[in-house]
Amino acid sequence: MEKELWPRNEADLCIRCAACMAICPVSRVTPLFPGPKQAGPGAQRFRRPDEPSMDPWIDLCIGCQLCDMVCAAGVPISELNLIAKAKYLDEKGRPLRDWLLTHTHLFGSLGSMFSPIVNFFLKNRAFRWLLDVTFQIDRRRVLPAYESPTFRQWFRQHRSQGEKKVAYFYGCFTNTNEVDVGKATVEVLEANGFEVVLPRQQCCGIPMLGNGNFRGAHKIGAKNVPPLLEAVRSGMEVVFSSTSCGHMIRHEYDHLLHLEGAKEVSSHLFDLMEFLRNLHESGHLRSPFQKTPLKVAYFAPCHLKSLGIGFPTLHILRLVPGLSVENVEAHCCGLGGTFGFKKEKYDISEEIGRDLARALSAIEPDTVLSECEGCRMQIRHLTGLRTLHPIQLLRDALSR
Amino acid sequence: MKTETEVLIVGGGATGVGLARDLSLRGVSTALVEKGDFASGASGRNHGLLHSGGRYAVSDPVAARECIAENRILKRIAPHCVEETEGLFVSLPEDGVDFQNRFLQACRNAEIPATLLSRDEALHLEPNLHPDILGAVKVPDGAVDPFTLVVENARDAEAHGARLLPHTTITSLLVEGKRLRGVTIKDRITGEEGTIEAPWVINATGAWANEFLSLAGLRIGMALSKGTLLVTNHRLTHRVINRCRPPSDGDIIVPNDAVSILGTTSVRVKTPEDFLPTTEEVDLLVRETSRMVPQIRDARLIRAYAGIRPLFQTEGANDDRQISRGFALIDHGQRDGLHGLITITGGKLITYRLMAEKTSDLVCEKMGRPTPCTTHLRPLPGAATRQRFSERLKKMNRGFSVEGGEILCDCELIQRNEVENLLKGQTLRDLQDILHRTRLAKGTCQGGFCVYRLLGLLHEAKRVEGDSNLVLKQFLEERWRGIRPILWGVAMKEEELIESIYRGLFNL
Amino acid sequence: MHFDLIVIGMGLTGLMAAKTAAERKKKVLLIGKGFGTLTLFSNTIDLMGILPEEVPVKESLPLWIEEHPDHPYGKVGMEKIEEALSSFLSFFPPPYTFQSRNGANSLVPTGAGTLRPTYLIPSTMMKGIGLREKKALIVGFKGYKDFYPHRFSDLFRCRAMTVDLEEAHGAEVSATTLARWMEEPSFRQRLTEGIKKEWKGEPLLGFPALLGLRDPMVVRRDLEKRTGASIFEIPVLPPSMPGMRIFNTFREKLIRMGVTFLLGQSVSRLLLRGDRCEGVEVAHAPLVNTYTGERILLATGRFIGGGLRADSSRIEEPLLGLPVTQPPSREGWFEEAFFASSGHPVHRAGVVVDSMFRPLNEGGKPIFENVWVAGTILAHHDSLYEKSKEGIEIATGYTAALKALGG
Repeated sequence: MEKELWPRNEADLCIRCAACMAICPVSRVTPLFPGPKQAGPGAQRFRRPDEPSMDPWIDLCIGCQLCDMVCAAGVPISELNLIAKAKYLDEKGRPLRDWLLTHTHLFGSLGSMFSPIVNFFLKNRAFRWLLDVTFQIDRRRVLPAYESPTFRQWFRQHRSQGEKKVAYFYGCFTNTNEVDVGKATVEVLEANGFEVVLPRQQCCGIPMLGNGNFRGAHKIGAKNVPPLLEAVRSGMEVVFSSTSCGHMIRHEYDHLLHLEGAKEVSSHLFDLMEFLRNLHESGHLRSPFQKTPLKVAYFAPCHLKSLGIGFPTLHILRLVPGLSVENVEAHCCGLGGTFGFKKEKYDISEEIGRDLARALSAIEPDTVLSECEGCRMQIRHLTGLRTLHPIQLLRDALSR
Repeated sequence: MKTETEVLIVGGGATGVGLARDLSLRGVSTALVEKGDFASGASGRNHGLLHSGGRYAVSDPVAARECIAENRILKRIAPHCVEETEGLFVSLPEDGVDFQNRFLQACRNAEIPATLLSRDEALHLEPNLHPDILGAVKVPDGAVDPFTLVVENARDAEAHGARLLPHTTITSLLVEGKRLRGVTIKDRITGEEGTIEAPWVINATGAWANEFLSLAGLRIGMALSKGTLLVTNHRLTHRVINRCRPPSDGDIIVPNDAVSILGTTSVRVKTPEDFLPTTEEVDLLVRETSRMVPQIRDARLIRAYAGIRPLFQTEGANDDRQISRGFALIDHGQRDGLHGLITITGGKLITYRLMAEKTSDLVCEKMGRPTPCTTHLRPLPGAATRQRFSERLKKMNRGFSVEGGEILCDCELIQRNEVENLLKGQTLRDLQDILHRTRLAKGTCQGGFCVYRLLGLLHEAKRVEGDSNLVLKQFLEERWRGIRPILWGVAMKEEELIESIYRGLFNL
Repeated sequence: MHFDLIVIGMGLTGLMAAKTAAERKKKVLLIGKGFGTLTLFSNTIDLMGILPEEVPVKESLPLWIEEHPDHPYGKVGMEKIEEALSSFLSFFPPPYTFQSRNGANSLVPTGAGTLRPTYLIPSTMMKGIGLREKKALIVGFKGYKDFYPHRFSDLFRCRAMTVDLEEAHGAEVSATTLARWMEEPSFRQRLTEGIKKEWKGEPLLGFPALLGLRDPMVVRRDLEKRTGASIFEIPVLPPSMPGMRIFNTFREKLIRMGVTFLLGQSVSRLLLRGDRCEGVEVAHAPLVNTYTGERILLATGRFIGGGLRADSSRIEEPLLGLPVTQPPSREGWFEEAFFASSGHPVHRAGVVVDSMFRPLNEGGKPIFENVWVAGTILAHHDSLYEKSKEGIEIATGYTAALKALGG
């Protein structure tokens, strides 16, 4: 835990108004987490960087950042929580399980290469029981299947052409577990006259950061920035299709990890749907979207909300004729990245997700759209509904 | 109600209860009368600094020696009231190295352990110090919780037979010829009247010395000096920070539990009831202390309070800091012809035990029962218990509330059970009595949420008489005295919140 | 992105302004950090609580406004006040709606055991009016520390009970936890069984204001069915669930109306060109995003919202540096007594606007061509003393938006 990261006066901004308590999804469902007012600025008054951590409950903060959004005083609550979590875990030590969950990018290519076998085991009850008992990865959690070929492999065989270049940060999940999202992204961008370029990239590091591993996140982020910087300096914008990756690179790389060059990258880095919205605003979106008589529910991921760009997807979906879109009134899906995979947090994760599930069942959509792979996983897990990244629906509406 | 005792002590501050403890440990039958709660005078309104004596080393070597001796004693007998933080005397460029050298030498002369630190060493220990410091001298200052210290003395005194009567005023003196025989008293809350007869009466009323003596038509030379202090929202330094220069305003920063206390000023006042911090004092304190810790300029303050120092004045001295901070023991029989009355005045919190010892020695000698003092040897009752303030953090897992009850004070993490235990077996006469004995309402919002909850709890325990909202309003009015002087910045937001809850939402 | 109207501040003022513009098909950006003070204090809609209860406000308020022309209501006028309230109510069709009693103020019981005067009351609180004359059982929850039924009922001379909920497992329970549980039929079943153990058939049952967030009327109807009693809610310490309901409703509907709803961002700078404001900058480290707009409406609130900022000597409006009328020095901001009968002078400080809600310079002239200011940031009102906060927010948010749009 780096000394420079230790908060100074941020906790002093808190006026104890408890607005954050009204929105926190975790404290709403479990008394084991005291809620943002207490966990962040409240506890900070008692924390000392040179004394052992006394807050084992701190890693129940799911990192949704909803508290930050409603704090009129400007307390960076989730950041205070994250720094305290990092210190606590640095002292306590992280179990092998957490290393496994935050380093999935290392096994991604292997998982894809041997996907039939790997997928078999991921679904196999005995194997899942073993994972549960040995590594505390809850057996009830559906583990995402691997696909083959990877997105990167597919792209290598693909010829991208266009008048202008755009770089695409696809994220490890798209690469090995949801290749179609990447394909759809490429197709829609190409349909708008862009040649898609893939800069060299690794996992964005958010699973590590979310687990308070600043050092690991810094290391991996330092590998991602130079190729992105190169792309940006050659005149390209960069888009991301996963809001979690996007939030990580656009904000945390500079703000929390102080990675050099990150700030410059950030100013040319866009959420895919935001990028399309900007195109539309400037009259450059080629949107021959066909009639799509579907009833869809749209769920805005937490990391989209914290990007502070509004809901560009809702904006774009309005351009698809025949489409009926309901914005889901729920705050957080409950998966929280690696959070919901952990045995000791699984029930909390599910309880949070119950509100979303209820909201969805009131809508009864054909499909649920969300930009975050975690949310999509959780929605499928909770409701069995078909889920898509909005870009997939747009691609379908193009080629229909 | 008529009581007969050997010694009656008037005043329930540190000196008064220290006396009650000392005398009762010597087997003397003692009673104590205090018009408010314990430590309601200067004892409860200071910076909580357990002096090493460094502050007096240059100007008053005798006082310095007394301090270091008492410092060690208190750390031994009251470890649960003391945090051994260490202290630094920092030199800024304008203070010069010369004074630092004199200071170091003076400490050594007074046998105060003192270590010279370089600028880098000092900044390493306390990163919030001003980067311009020349260096610092490390001394064994500490932080003391004055209220607990006083209450612990009171507990020990009662355990050894003393009778302590807080919330009791003295209505008149019983004088027979040239002798003071006793006093008539009145319970401030019930109105019940009585008398206490005692051959020896000790006036330990601190700043109220003359208020009491006027009942006998007597007076002593005394100056009253108000000192204002500020409380920050969080602990800015972990050691006591002093300015290495001749004592002046705004040159102390004392860590206290989760906050820092900034002090102090010295303003002559006429009456001991002039307690309010002024805007000028508040601004001065921020200005001066931020010379040592720059962060203070923008720091969140949560409260301002003031205490009145009683300074025994021999004729002639003008600057209050020049008047000896030593104490004076006055035998009114010798001085004024009224026998059986002794006044102990002056001094400072840290030398209370010594003051009590000297006074007890005198009284016992006069009673013809010279017995040795043991207060420096015997630990105070709760000495075995000690909790680092950061440990309170563990409670916030609400699973803990199953054992300890819900957290009533969100800012200071005080649970229901702590308050319920407090209510048992203690004579607590009003809300302030309870608040004095817990850290509830001492945090960021200064009772904004927790006193409402406390009242609910008190009501359930049937401890509230009459309109509980009147009690709430009185609390909020009292709280206001400490908040009004520091209202700017974030404190304005806090104020808007609290006022909107109580005047707006609850329409009190 | 370019907007017809940029509303800065997401409290009730900003929400109303955004609604007003969106309904007129304008492209609106609504940006703010937090819920305003909705989740803090807004349980009911105050209009002018100090007016006598027996008189319809339609009669008493215009007279009051005449006597206080500088008051924000003076720039709105009774007609627009009524329009604005109607507009607010249109977002709350029955069953969960807000009503007045005979068009006049009524007294509503609060969690502190007091009565407060207010105007529009949510359906879930209506039955608490006149509590002193009724027989009621007041229900609290063990582990819920923001409401004390015994202290409350002592002051209202009714009975009280504390329910020990099994699902709490002896731990502390928060308002949001309880509000969420309330939405489960099985919880309500167990709750009513617990209540029936001590209930003596009182016709009224009172609860702290957490009868659910999404469907409070479903919750209440079910509880009433199970008990046969009438049920009402009582406002308690923040966080306010009724305030959350208001916010959630606005949020849902405004998003559906196409408002760009930027919750969680705060404006760091306004872009000025001469006497025109071209747009806003939103700092979101490390980026600074720019949004341009034709019109800017400032609804940033008072100190809590950061609309006004006090340093140790002055009060300022931090975004545009608008003149703030205020007592001459910090000494004059607050009275010596907390409960000063006439209120504290600083509460009347604020931004001065003309009848079009344009901010004025020291000489009394509008400073900008396209900036409007509304809400509690305005000068010459003391919503704590008057009990007028939500009324001012709704009326000025609505009217200032109309003025901005040329109405």
